[in-house]
Amino acid sequence: MSALRLASPTARNFRTLAPSLRPARARLTDAAMDGKPLATLDYSQMIVAVARQRDRAAFGALFDHFAPRIKAYLLRAGADEGLADELAQEALLAVWRKAETFDAARATAATWIFTIARNLRTDRFRKEWRDVPVGDDLPDAIDEAAAPDESLSEAERGERVRHALRQLPPEQIKVIELSFFEDQPHAEIAQTLGIPLGTVKSRIRIAMAKLRDLVGDLS
Amino acid sequence: MTIRHHPSDETLAAYAAGTLDLGRRVVVASHLERCAACRRFVRGAEQVGGVMLEDLSPAPMSEHALARTLARIDREHSRQPAKPVANEPGLPACLKPYEMGRWRWVGPGVEMRPILLPESGNVRVFLLKAGPGTRLPQHTHEGSELTSILVGSFHHEGGDFFAGDFEEADGDVEHRPIVGTDMACICLVALEGQLKLSGFIGALLNPFVRL
Repeated sequence: MSALRLASPTARNFRTLAPSLRPARARLTDAAMDGKPLATLDYSQMIVAVARQRDRAAFGALFDHFAPRIKAYLLRAGADEGLADELAQEALLAVWRKAETFDAARATAATWIFTIARNLRTDRFRKEWRDVPVGDDLPDAIDEAAAPDESLSEAERGERVRHALRQLPPEQIKVIELSFFEDQPHAEIAQTLGIPLGTVKSRIRIAMAKLRDLVGDLS
Repeated sequence: MTIRHHPSDETLAAYAAGTLDLGRRVVVASHLERCAACRRFVRGAEQVGGVMLEDLSPAPMSEHALARTLARIDREHSRQPAKPVANEPGLPACLKPYEMGRWRWVGPGVEMRPILLPESGNVRVFLLKAGPGTRLPQHTHEGSELTSILVGSFHHEGGDFFAGDFEEADGDVEHRPIVGTDMACICLVALEGQLKLSGFIGALLNPFVRL
């Protein structure tokens, strides 16, 4: 899928306008040819290009990749078409505004952008809007104790999460997915999946234990 | 100081996923500011969120969405950034964006100060300050109650809680907290539904419960 995206006009522009980032794109292509998932490193470099050069082509490439996914995330969370579209634009606008606070050593591009979309979801979804900076509820300054294991790059970390998620049985993924995307009370999840409430609760407990194992492996 | 009481994994995961309402999110954030272990867990869960975001099948954006966003970026330059509301020293950074009401007396040795969130729904968020040795009324909850201890300590049947600790209670829990005798205790509380109070002080607390 990354190969197709490389052929988009924005990606071509990006390559012309930001020759210094060409090696990154080359790596991305290689990864795509090996059939590996997108190297998040490249999106990280685009965010850095937005931060340092206010690079609009890099921003366009980020927009093309992430805006439709954020929109899908917000649709899953119950937003209507118009709101999801508007908030996805809002999220990318926040990416532009906050690009200089992005630290590739601390988060993958996808994780960072996810937190922006998530904060918009809680701030904005409930209809009221105040002009409050998003993503500021976990100040960077106090995060030194949570510094990631230096031996593991964030891209590798993302890869490990992806791999570990794939190992989970489908019903556990379903529960994690529902709790991540759909803000449903347990009773509704039970109804959606057609299983007893007690089963939902125990599955959530197991899913959370898995999540803790997974996160424990990462830290 | 070691933090002994943490939010449940489920609450932390809901925070990471964005499914907590703003009120509860603020209270959890005040704990995260102090607790490296919970920050690590949340960051791991956010990573899961990042992976899930990547894996979602994209929903096509409306026509000219990128052009419209770039046009907004052009207008950005004239935009004044939001001015943060002045914060009292010692309060968690997560309260900065929000206005607060006044401290008000709610009972002997007990004061509360509402946090004015843009949208709090069924959840109220407030600072609760209780003098040294104060016995808070026995109460149960209609919904959940999240408490982040900012200053001082209290104890009840469920254990001892110090600054940095976090308590999660639901309707089943019946507690009678007693504030530590050395200093006043200040907590940040997200309360869902109504408190059910018993006794004399309970009656005094009712005005704030109906806030």
